[in-house]
Amino acid sequence: MELLHNLALGLSVAVSLQNLLYALLGCMVGTLIGVLPGIGPVATIAMLLPITFHLPPTASLIMLAGIYYGAQYGGSTTSILVNLPGEASSVVTCLDGYQMARKGRAGAALSISAVGSFFAGTVGTIIIVIFAEPLTRMAQKFGPADYCSLMALGLVAAVVLASGSVMKAIAMVFLGLLFGLVGTDVNTGAQRFTFDVPELSDGIDFAPIAMGLFGIAEIVVNLERHLTRGGAIKVGSLWPTREEIRRSIPAVLRGTTLGALLGVLPGGGPTLGAFSAYTLEKKLSKNPGEFGKGAVEGVASPEAANNAAAQTSFIPMLTLGIPSNAVMALMVGAMIIQGIQPGPEVMTKKPDLFWGMIVSMWVGNLMLVIINLPMIGMWVKLLTVPYRFLAPAILLFCCIGAYSLQNSTFHVMQVALFGVIGYIFVRLGCEGAPFLLGLVLGPQMEEYFRRAMLLSRGDPMVFLERPISLGLLITTALLLILMALPSIKKAREEAFQEEG
Amino acid sequence: MNRFLSKDFLSGLMFIAFGLIAIYFGQKLAQGTAVRMGPGYVPRMLSYILLGLGGVICVVALITGGEPVERIKWKPLTMVTIGIVCFALLFERAGLLPALVVLVFISSLGGEEFKLTEVLGNMVVLAILCTLVFKVGLGMNISIIQGVW
Repeated sequence: MELLHNLALGLSVAVSLQNLLYALLGCMVGTLIGVLPGIGPVATIAMLLPITFHLPPTASLIMLAGIYYGAQYGGSTTSILVNLPGEASSVVTCLDGYQMARKGRAGAALSISAVGSFFAGTVGTIIIVIFAEPLTRMAQKFGPADYCSLMALGLVAAVVLASGSVMKAIAMVFLGLLFGLVGTDVNTGAQRFTFDVPELSDGIDFAPIAMGLFGIAEIVVNLERHLTRGGAIKVGSLWPTREEIRRSIPAVLRGTTLGALLGVLPGGGPTLGAFSAYTLEKKLSKNPGEFGKGAVEGVASPEAANNAAAQTSFIPMLTLGIPSNAVMALMVGAMIIQGIQPGPEVMTKKPDLFWGMIVSMWVGNLMLVIINLPMIGMWVKLLTVPYRFLAPAILLFCCIGAYSLQNSTFHVMQVALFGVIGYIFVRLGCEGAPFLLGLVLGPQMEEYFRRAMLLSRGDPMVFLERPISLGLLITTALLLILMALPSIKKAREEAFQEEG
Repeated sequence: MNRFLSKDFLSGLMFIAFGLIAIYFGQKLAQGTAVRMGPGYVPRMLSYILLGLGGVICVVALITGGEPVERIKWKPLTMVTIGIVCFALLFERAGLLPALVVLVFISSLGGEEFKLTEVLGNMVVLAILCTLVFKVGLGMNISIIQGVW
């Protein structure tokens, strides 16, 4: 019954006029950047982070969450209509979605993906509601050593599930942790790596870093590549045939389940969910030859999966304060800007914010179906805007956003610097996401590490003596060993090759 | 192919460089003991891990070869970076409008196509949009042209 009570509380927060408006705004912006290639949710949320400072906490988190899952909807539109994924998570939707569109079934593909996404989003929200409380209660038993190990597991898992070289990704995590230590040491007040720059003494701000790594570097790479776009296909009737519905329902169910599971994992999230769902459908299908030629399951299942995963990836962040991907790392930052320390206390101390945000995600999903289906024509028109107009606009918003963090041009310079560093990362094949996770978790992890060592009188065995910590560390070690096994290494490389 | 110009080898070098920089600039930070860690304990630990990982990545890269780095196209990178730096220098001294004009102009030079009328149009649209959103809408304390508005 408490569950219903919580949901009622959440609903009352979510349907207030102000929060409805911010949810709508977030969904619109999310759809917009989902449709536009060359800018993703990470850069957008980083750009808007400083602005959220002017908003109430609940409204700002509702809006940022809307951007994240809105981008999943928007990304599928361009995949289906022009064979260009707006987001990494909708790359697989191109395979069959675009083929369906070429057969004149564009409308059906769009409505199946929108309704499937809505269903998955609903299930994802329910899963958050069910698991939030038990997980939070468990997290409250955690000591410093346990937290430290949990973060280690989170970081390692994030690396393992990300694409590319494991070793480089681990090094990126450590580099991120190191950058996270810049600023005043909390325990002694000593200045670390601040180079006498007053702006650095409060710690390095990660919004400009995220803008540089994910926004500026991306723009530079896109300018090099010269993006070209084909014409959009006419949408036609939105109604799927009876046969298409019959085939999509089980696919949506499977996609939702798989996506919801993979979303919870650190490093998981929409992209992994969508790829796995597509692979699963292809394996289960009686005629796998149809895939890539417009199989409706190949649209329904990954679309459901990416949306379910987008929802459930909130679970570790909301309950444990551990972000599972780059977007969640920024959500943690958004909470800190509002003076909320993410972690198990959020649910008990700020129930209106916690439940309001969760219910608003469901409301937002409902809005997205409306935004996406009847208004599809408007989004398609946006696709005709050439990139040479967009790139300066994105740069400009990044600069103003960075400035408004603390009304200081120092942060704008920081964006420029991390744009260059981010470009180097891209050229060297180093992933930005593990770096950002390390950066966000760095200060906390050091704090827990030092506290745990202080409590144990300098004995590192404390990490192995506490059962929770031991269990987490064993899982971490197992993951690392698994990665080193030749057969798994090969399978993993193949899986990511399909992606690229 | 030159083995020293592979993506992996160079990224290994990058990690080593960051490790060395952190050790060099962290010299003065007290290390402390494992019980009472000083401000330098964790940074030093992380730096040594980076050195180690960087070294291993380099060695593996030299043995296995690996992908070569793509040739860098300098124009987009320099134009975008110069544009942002100019924006930062102009924003407080001259105001949003001059900073915007310079940023849009320079960064547009970084693209493949450059049509002056298009760029001017883009500037006008963005100037109106930014003024409405940031100055009027959000009420941010920024001047459009320093000393005028």
